[in-house]
Amino acid sequence: MIAILLDGLAFGLQLSMLAVGLTLIYGLGGVLNLAHGQFAVAGGIVGALLIGRGAGVAVGIVAALGVAALLAAIVDVSLMRPVYRLTGERRVLLSLLVTLGIAFVIEGYLFANHAAVSFNLSVPGPVVRILGVGMRRNALVAAAIAIVTLGVLIVFLRTTRLGRAIRSIIQDEDGARLVGIDPGRVRSLVFVLSGLLAGLFAVAEAFNSSVGPDRARLFTILALIVTVVGGLGSVSGALVAGLLLGVTYVTAQFLVGSFLTYVILLLAAVVIILVRPSGLLGRAH
Amino acid sequence: MLEVRALDVAHGDTQVVHGVDLDVAAGEAVAIIGSNGAGKTTTLKAICGWLPARAGTVRFDGRTVTGTPTQTLKRAGMAYVPAERHLFPTMSVTENLQLGAYPAKPARAQRDVVFELFPRLADRGTQLAGTMSGGEQQMLAVGRALMSRPRLLMLDEPTTGLAPILAEEAYRALARLREDGEITVVVAEQQVPLVFGFADRAYVLEDGRVQLEGPCDALADDPAVRRAYLGIDR
Repeated sequence: MIAILLDGLAFGLQLSMLAVGLTLIYGLGGVLNLAHGQFAVAGGIVGALLIGRGAGVAVGIVAALGVAALLAAIVDVSLMRPVYRLTGERRVLLSLLVTLGIAFVIEGYLFANHAAVSFNLSVPGPVVRILGVGMRRNALVAAAIAIVTLGVLIVFLRTTRLGRAIRSIIQDEDGARLVGIDPGRVRSLVFVLSGLLAGLFAVAEAFNSSVGPDRARLFTILALIVTVVGGLGSVSGALVAGLLLGVTYVTAQFLVGSFLTYVILLLAAVVIILVRPSGLLGRAH
Repeated sequence: MLEVRALDVAHGDTQVVHGVDLDVAAGEAVAIIGSNGAGKTTTLKAICGWLPARAGTVRFDGRTVTGTPTQTLKRAGMAYVPAERHLFPTMSVTENLQLGAYPAKPARAQRDVVFELFPRLADRGTQLAGTMSGGEQQMLAVGRALMSRPRLLMLDEPTTGLAPILAEEAYRALARLREDGEITVVVAEQQVPLVFGFADRAYVLEDGRVQLEGPCDALADDPAVRRAYLGIDR
């Protein structure tokens, strides 16, 4: 039982890390990025290709992060420009269509050229015992990456001027303009940050299991579910929802096996949304 | 400091402000008065780049800034406090003030200036802005604007929703602010007696046009102004 809980929390932390990037750009830009998982995988594949050609692991990791962030930056300044011209619901809808297209292009390219490539990282060594439960070293590394990332992110948002500016735009974009913040510029920075978070997820997941083109769609869907359950635009909501759904996921996998796991995960999400329509920690509209 | 020429502003197809001219010298306090819907708010919003001007020019510090975004003007020293305030409701008083100094580091000295002006804010550093009373929120909105040491402070109906005592207190605080520093103030106000006790000059706006302008004490003797805005017959 404790083993399932620990596994679930470890996976949940990763889910939180994946979803937090999605929820931040929703909060700031009013856009939902359906290519989030594809950014992560594209970064991972570049990392894998470099490592496969003899580059060091560190180079591979940096490349994975850089490519995911760069893809986000490119999308923000190019294809998202017409999206930002719209407001409210229309912006959300157009962003779904545009980013879905981007997801197809990235996935199509990866399947056509690197279908068999996958990003795998590993630290050798025996199983580590925590609370009497044996944990794989790789799973612990993945969890540690998630914990450090989320911790740094929270401190950044709470204590730095830019972090405060990000939160202020989520609360009141007009108020942010009044104090001298340029919401468009901060939004671009956050888009890059969300790409970086996707890259960090890919690195963590490369330790935990493996990152190949076939997993991109799953990552996007998981990120979307966690974001919606946590409350769109709510960073703390994404953290809580990630942990909750992580434990749900691992428990279901243990009890009923892989296929039904997704059904149970979605059921849990549906129940939460029925009880709290704006998500666990979302603002009621 | 501020020079507005032939300003036209429209909401959609409806023109609300017609050919407004305004001049504000450095260090002055200027009131814009007029009834509801006269175009006071629209004029201020067009000056600070919140709304686009259809025609005309706005010059700030000798530079033409027509259409410059609000955030850019804020950084150049023009702070605008709208009637609806736009505070950050789930952030603390301290955080709201810190953001007021963006992108600079919030200066302790300037925060002390704000606290001296509005002592109520000093005791409430950790309170969330959204849980404060209307009067306190108004103080915070002005305080937040002052954190960047603006040279021009533009206030829209700062006393809306305030009890009379608080409204008087607000203008006393603004008067103290002028004594201490070299700040220029433009304030749109419906409570004319109150603002006449504070401002040097006033513009009377009706139907989006400047009807009258002049020193407040001269306007206070004008029969039309007395009838329409000071509630005095004959």
